[in-house]
Amino acid sequence: MAKRGFSGVVIRSYGARDHEVTVVGKESLAPHFVRVRLTSATLFQDAVAVPTAWLRFWFPDPDGGESEHQRAYTISSADETTGEFTIDMVLHEPAGPASLWAKRVEPGWTIMATSLGSSKFDVPEEPPAGYLLIGDSASIPAVNSILAAVPVDVPVEVYLEQHDDADPLVPLTPHPRARIHWVPRQGPASLAAAIEARDWSDWYAWAGPESGSLKHLRTRLRDEFGFPKSELYAQAYWYYGRAFGKRRGTPEPEPAAAPEPAPAAAAPSGPAVRGAWRAQGAGRLLAPLKRTLILSGALQAVVTLVQLAPFVLLVELARRMLAGAAESTLWTLGGWALGLVGAGTLLGGALTLWLHAVDARFARDLRRRLLGKLARLPLGWFTARGSGHVKQVVRDDTLALHYLVTHAVPDAVAAVVAPVAVLAYLFAVDWRIALALFLPVLVYVMTMTVMVVQSGARTALALRWSERMNREAAGYLEGQPVIRVFGGAAGSTFRARLDEYIGFLDDWQRPFTGKKTLMDLATRPATFLLLIAFLGTWLVSSGAMDPVSLLPFLLLGTTFGARLLGIGYGLSGLRTGLLAARRIQTTLDESELQVRAGPAAAAAEAPGTVVFDRVDFGYRPGVPVIHGVSIVLRPGTLTALVGPSGSGKSTLAALLARFHDVDTGAVRVGGHDVRDLTADELYARVGFVFQQTQLVHGTVHDNIALALPDASRERVEAAARAAYLHERILRLPRGYDTVLGPDAALSGGERQRLTIARAILADPAVLVLDEATAFADPESEYAVQRALDRLTAGRTVLVIAHRLHTITGADQIVVLDGGRVAETGTHDELHAAGGRYRQLWDAGANRTTARAEATL
Amino acid sequence: MIRTLLQLLPADRRRLAAGHAALTVLGVALRAAGAVLLVPLVADLFGPDPGGAWPWLGALAAVTAAGWAVDTAAARIGFDLGFALLDNGQHSIADRLTRIRLTWFTAAHTATARQAVATTGPDLVGLVIYLVTPVAGAVLLPVAIGLALLPISVPLGLAALAGVPVLLVAFWTTRRIGRVADRTAEDANTALTERIVEFARTQPALRAARRAEPARGLVGAALAAQHGATVRLVLLQIPGQLLFGLASQAALVLLAGTTTALAVRGDLGVPEAIALLVVVARYLEAFAALGELTPGIETATTALRRIRAVRDAPTVSIGASARPGTATGAPRIRLERVAFRYADDGPQVLDGLDLTLEAGTTTAIVGPSGSGKSTLLALLAGLHQPTAGRVLVDGDDTAALAPDERRALVSVVFQQPYLFDGTIRDNVLAGDPGAGEDRLGHAVALARVDEVTARLPDGERTAVGEAGTALSGGERQRVSIARALLKPAPILLVDEATSALDTENEAAVVQALADRTTPRTRVVVAHRLGSIRHADRVVFLEDGRVVEDGTVEGLLAAGGRFADFWRRREAATGWRVVSAGGSDT
Repeated sequence: MAKRGFSGVVIRSYGARDHEVTVVGKESLAPHFVRVRLTSATLFQDAVAVPTAWLRFWFPDPDGGESEHQRAYTISSADETTGEFTIDMVLHEPAGPASLWAKRVEPGWTIMATSLGSSKFDVPEEPPAGYLLIGDSASIPAVNSILAAVPVDVPVEVYLEQHDDADPLVPLTPHPRARIHWVPRQGPASLAAAIEARDWSDWYAWAGPESGSLKHLRTRLRDEFGFPKSELYAQAYWYYGRAFGKRRGTPEPEPAAAPEPAPAAAAPSGPAVRGAWRAQGAGRLLAPLKRTLILSGALQAVVTLVQLAPFVLLVELARRMLAGAAESTLWTLGGWALGLVGAGTLLGGALTLWLHAVDARFARDLRRRLLGKLARLPLGWFTARGSGHVKQVVRDDTLALHYLVTHAVPDAVAAVVAPVAVLAYLFAVDWRIALALFLPVLVYVMTMTVMVVQSGARTALALRWSERMNREAAGYLEGQPVIRVFGGAAGSTFRARLDEYIGFLDDWQRPFTGKKTLMDLATRPATFLLLIAFLGTWLVSSGAMDPVSLLPFLLLGTTFGARLLGIGYGLSGLRTGLLAARRIQTTLDESELQVRAGPAAAAAEAPGTVVFDRVDFGYRPGVPVIHGVSIVLRPGTLTALVGPSGSGKSTLAALLARFHDVDTGAVRVGGHDVRDLTADELYARVGFVFQQTQLVHGTVHDNIALALPDASRERVEAAARAAYLHERILRLPRGYDTVLGPDAALSGGERQRLTIARAILADPAVLVLDEATAFADPESEYAVQRALDRLTAGRTVLVIAHRLHTITGADQIVVLDGGRVAETGTHDELHAAGGRYRQLWDAGANRTTARAEATL
Repeated sequence: MIRTLLQLLPADRRRLAAGHAALTVLGVALRAAGAVLLVPLVADLFGPDPGGAWPWLGALAAVTAAGWAVDTAAARIGFDLGFALLDNGQHSIADRLTRIRLTWFTAAHTATARQAVATTGPDLVGLVIYLVTPVAGAVLLPVAIGLALLPISVPLGLAALAGVPVLLVAFWTTRRIGRVADRTAEDANTALTERIVEFARTQPALRAARRAEPARGLVGAALAAQHGATVRLVLLQIPGQLLFGLASQAALVLLAGTTTALAVRGDLGVPEAIALLVVVARYLEAFAALGELTPGIETATTALRRIRAVRDAPTVSIGASARPGTATGAPRIRLERVAFRYADDGPQVLDGLDLTLEAGTTTAIVGPSGSGKSTLLALLAGLHQPTAGRVLVDGDDTAALAPDERRALVSVVFQQPYLFDGTIRDNVLAGDPGAGEDRLGHAVALARVDEVTARLPDGERTAVGEAGTALSGGERQRVSIARALLKPAPILLVDEATSALDTENEAAVVQALADRTTPRTRVVVAHRLGSIRHADRVVFLEDGRVVEDGTVEGLLAAGGRFADFWRRREAATGWRVVSAGGSDT
């Protein structure tokens, strides 16, 4: 492998596997930009095609020499099952090895590639406010793969440095919210200077430009805009003015002496604003504990030192014994040892107790804050997240914080202080042996590094496998009835998958058994002991060392390796806790519903009137879901919202119930803007019945009388009768006094009717209703429908309609399309008009007739 | 734990395990020998002639190198055992899962089983090498050092040996208390946060009822009241957690003190005493190593506990008899005083049910939710076994049939149609892998799967994705109907979906029931009039008992519970939302 030079040797020593790749085809995407289609039977055993993943290729020497040149290219598309993939290459003039190869390449050519290293890009569950992508033609394939992965409603700013007139012709992956800026290169600082000076709070930055520009970019992003480390990925994709990029990237041969134009005069926009990131939320949440945690760390350091002290005392004991000290001095030492042991234990115990007390107070305040927050968040926050997220934050994250405060800091401090203190002590005693102790550690670290590199993509693959097996096993268990009835084939895919998974683990881990054994043998105490004994015997017998100096090594040096390697483990506890703290702070930072203290508008409209007045709304800034909708609901009338899914009908209805606040315009109930009303004032006027039902912990009576806790039993029973639930309640073990729970569970339709009874008793003038409620449970469809009839009677009703035939009697039908009102009218009017409504009706008609046939 | 471990090993590896154990013990003995060799070595270094230590160093090097060799061999076997555990363990769990009683799969058990089969793999590989070997070493090494000390100094050797059980008990106690403390903290946290989660869950209801603020006050007060008690509980656990640290430090002081005392009394030379101090440190190192293994022990114990839960789960009883070869055509099914409950302490879902389904008939089971309809169907399908009574097919007790015979009897359309990861065609063929194209085409057409495949670019070769997620709920339903139709079983059971079906699916269910190409006895748990209409007989079930039984016309004429049900279903179909007093009640 000499022909591959030093980097080839290094890569080989990591055990990277070469894969033969065959060229299938080539197409030109721009005058100086080609896409090469490749295939390999084995490559994707090692490589994973995730966004921004790249491969190293060995290109032949352009001068026809023996040597091969390594360059890395991003995988622009891939089919892992067939092994086909593409890479996009920039052609340079004069051409380097890669450019030359790309120019000449023809189908059938082969080349070697390895997946050693590589990177990946993930969009987190809760995406950042936006993505700032920076690069140039060499990193466009990576930028493209990111653009393809970013959700369509997240804004993206792309800054590309232009080196060639043809650069803007290179195709970019379209993204509806991406803005592209081409920045002609004037010098290494011009790209950084071109980035808009604005508030980049909660954005994520990905930068893959050439190395010189990257230096300036880092300064601008981190120091001027305040991007935290966790929200900034920066890697040079090539080196300006250097013919051969060592690590990766396309070479851009350019005379090294080319005069660099002076840096661009001034930043094109105003002064930079330092943003604030959710990623820094952990710090804010824990700010009140900062001093406590620092103090606890300091105390833990003392405790750790005290726990090491007995070993030092043993050395002193030996020294005194050798010097023939009086018996009493020895016993004094013993006394000291006992005292230190006692003090260490007491101090450690006191520290733990204190931290628990601090944590208890902190957790109590935190829960109180969370409770307050939850009571003031818009209802839409809950529907958007679901109960899993709330549980994660309220239950799991507060528990993780408990460990962070009570254990993680002392553990981390102890893990760091102990080896450092031991090392300092040992170096002070004899630096030669102390230095030698690093030898086994070095063996461990090097073996570990080789293993990590060899694992490469498999570490990520293992994670994917474990997620996949979890899903497949869940399916296998869920499918048990089917598998038992149909046997054989139905269960065999899971078996096959299990075999594949076991095969994967086997292939991955079995070659490492030797290395793992080596790591264990190198760092075990017996090895250190032999090393120390050898050096000690040598130094002592040659008179170069006092034998007493050997004792600290024999007592503390043997476990030095284990202690040093424990640092990483000790610190890992901090990370989990900080992530939890960050999530909690994010929740505490969510914006709350505000009640405007503005002048109460004169209620010129009747109490049951609802007005949507030029309403605009979007879940994310810049992505409107409702555009300029104006509707009037007259008191006591029924208005139906109709439209294809995604037309905004559920969103519009949710705005009336103030699950969210409008961006512009207003929703008024009885002349009052809903934002001027307190929650209690609003919900005294507006009620809602959606598909999800919520029963509170308590009796049936309490649940029905939720809005009127003082309501008499007669009124509660009347509401239950109206909701067709009275008979069912009487059959419960304790009637209206039955506490609802696992022992006295109601079916879906019964729960539905209970919430309807609740709404009947609450008696709001305006009602928002999801029509799907009426068909949620065929077991009690009929009863739910009768209950709804009683509930809707005499109110202003806004209904989200899924089946058109259920709303033909509506006083007003509003047809929504793409968040705008397409048509308004009665069924007869709209049916006759032959517009959007007629289309929807005709599309649904064959279904209705088929339904009728099935019934007859 | 060890028992579970050995059970998971394939039989041919048991001897290998014994070899591994022997090598581990030998490795420990060599390490102990190395520790004790320090006594003459260090004594010489501190003595008048340090050069005398060289031979001892040679011995130490030899012993250490031998230890490396032995431990390398042990590690190789250990990894081999680990991979054998992985392979055999995972497969035996997967096999076991298909024989466990379905009633065992509660939400908690299902989660355990899922983790046992999906996530314990990597833990199993490292189980022997990272856990069994080090734990055995950490426990055996101090004993071996204690024994090796006896020839040098009897009191010290005895003290070291006596210390082993004391320190192990201290270790175990601390670990136990630590676990209890963790659980207490977790339970306390759950108790404290449960009400907040509940508060969040019910926000829409609370706000609509204008109860958010009062409820917040109540929850806040409850939290404050609970807080003090739980904190005290957690704090009480702390002193116990310090026990092991205290014990090992005390052991160090005591053993060092004994050594010093022996030296002062002149029983030991000063160089020997110093050397012994070093041996004492090595002795205690082993316990410290045990402490560091604690997280690994927790993980492995959890993994093994999950596996054991699956292995110990009750399995279905298996018969061995075959149906007589003469049995052809649709069978007559008889339920004799059948009783069933899901849990031993749960309520009776069916209690002494007697029902005969004549050969070749179609029976609709109708009734309110919780009446036992789906349970009845599962008993007929053989998915559950009656807790009392018998299910007879043509007079044969199904409980006595061999599993394959039992399976061949029934075909089922499930409410939740699970499909496996493969093509639509593969999934339909699961009903009868040997079916010819004509039979396949017939089933596909009857279930209206052809309408689905016509829309897809890959047709019936379209992959359905993991658990069928690439298809819509209705499309999955139709594929499952085709699969059930294709299976040449003489009994067809249909559990109609309760969720809203689209009309094509309703028609597919009706056609499946009307298909007469295979002579079958059919039972449908029905919610919709379309599927009931085709039944020869309707059985109205309530609280696990048959309250009405007859033909559709007969029961409608009788005007009982079924007629009532029928009328309501018809009314529900034509319902419209109304306002302003348009109610028809």
